[in-house]
Amino acid sequence: MERRTFLKGSAGAAAAFTLAGCLGGGGGSGSETITIGSDIPYRPFEYETTEGELVGFDVDIAEAVFGELDYEHEFQKTSFDSIIPSLNNGNFRVIMSAMTITEDRAEQIDFSDPYFTAYQTVIVLNSSDISSKEDLRGVTVGVQKGTTGESAATSLKEEFDGDLTIQSYDQVTGAFDALRNNQVSAVVNDNTVNAAFVDQSEDVRFLEGPGAAEEQGKENAPPYLTLTVEEYGIGFRQDDDDLREEVNGALQTIRDNGTYDEIYSEYFSG
Amino acid sequence: MAESYSEGRTGDGEYQEQFLNDKTLRRLGAAIAGLFTLGVGGFIAAIIFTQVDFGLLVEIIHPQFVNAFLRVLGIVLVGSLLSVTAGVFVGLGRVSNTKFTNTVATAYVEFFRGTPLLFQLLVIYVGIPAFWPPGQFPISNWAIPTAIIGLTLNHAAYVGEAVRGGIDAVPEGQMEAARSLGMSYVQGMREVVLPQAWRNALAAIGNDQVILVKDTSLLTVIAIPELISAFRNVNSTTFDPWTPILLVAIAYLMITIPLGKIVSYLEARSDWGGDRR
Repeated sequence: MERRTFLKGSAGAAAAFTLAGCLGGGGGSGSETITIGSDIPYRPFEYETTEGELVGFDVDIAEAVFGELDYEHEFQKTSFDSIIPSLNNGNFRVIMSAMTITEDRAEQIDFSDPYFTAYQTVIVLNSSDISSKEDLRGVTVGVQKGTTGESAATSLKEEFDGDLTIQSYDQVTGAFDALRNNQVSAVVNDNTVNAAFVDQSEDVRFLEGPGAAEEQGKENAPPYLTLTVEEYGIGFRQDDDDLREEVNGALQTIRDNGTYDEIYSEYFSG
Repeated sequence: MAESYSEGRTGDGEYQEQFLNDKTLRRLGAAIAGLFTLGVGGFIAAIIFTQVDFGLLVEIIHPQFVNAFLRVLGIVLVGSLLSVTAGVFVGLGRVSNTKFTNTVATAYVEFFRGTPLLFQLLVIYVGIPAFWPPGQFPISNWAIPTAIIGLTLNHAAYVGEAVRGGIDAVPEGQMEAARSLGMSYVQGMREVVLPQAWRNALAAIGNDQVILVKDTSLLTVIAIPELISAFRNVNSTTFDPWTPILLVAIAYLMITIPLGKIVSYLEARSDWGGDRR
């Protein structure tokens, strides 16, 4: 009996995958399963608990938005540096992977209205003698390959006339490991992801000082050094305007009815 | 097919009449090879003329790809040298008559051949520094040592097996003869068995070293800026796949093809009467 249930379950799962693949490829419309491409894990936007349950800010926003629109949805793991070609190849329908809206990316795909504001920040070990942005000159910093953290580090390198070494890791956890293992002196990454790491581990801290957020006069700017200000959007194929409009509407709805704030405060303090 | 073949062998004339005779087989083979060449040639031409952006190609060769290539070449040279050297000792351990040595060598081979190289690299890169408190690990550029250690440990196991195979293929009488001439085990091994075993093992060792070159692609996960990583950088900023792919292919072949030639040369030299070459 158990065996039979298991078989049924896996047949169902296989059918679901096949179906999702077809729909993703066809890019059709109507009430269907929306497959979401995401580079998992990226705390606290998308990650799995030790029990293997997928959670995170993007996951809950997806739940709220697609629930609002009456679509089924599912997440598909993918790697961040190939996420745009994967979307355009039809591997999934949308991207929700803490993705910053940039001009380069906007040439390849369309974005929803911003659903999150992030700042590029720098973390170092508590024991480190780096105390200002200028102290980063000549050190090695860790970043995740293909992210805006990498771009921020690259512009910092230009600012320092090349006097900065950048190590690019596949996943941000690799950069965090490298920081603890003395392979890099600092990690450049989104403030929220960095904050989750700082909260969780006792031996790292944010690098402080005035930065881009103050320059641009952003409200609610974080109290530590910000290299850049970025807004996150949900990515769509350029021929998928109908879905994008629907999602924009739903984003507005969840902001208006308080769902957004609830989700936000669940993952981010302040 | 086999039936008609054996029937065909009875009379020459009868055989020639059948569809699949020597002549048609030869033509069929050539036709398939021709079609294959045409297909691949067309594909490569399509890539070069429609997909590759030559402006970008020139732009990314230096320093990005040149540096990645030199880095891979350096890692391959050191890793090759160490893994072949260590592999000979692993092979000797595998044929050892001492039970303990033999067991240890076997366990070594089973472990390093039985777990993926990617896993071994992660163990060394993330696992070893974890013994120190955060930020205290003394070696600050641990990625390159990890690459060398990982590739050496992994490929020494494969080379060891090749050497063991080479030694096993030398007739036992060789060692017996050496011993009966008054040589010690070490002398017999060094002067008589190993030179012959080397020749037997060369092809397998060469094969493994080519795999070592390709295994450097895994180093991208420990943030070594090698060729795959160079490809991914260019691809994720320009969204152009084929220009960097072309460079990656050329770069790997620039190492593996000469390596194959070196192995063939060594094989020719160590062949019977090879001294005269």
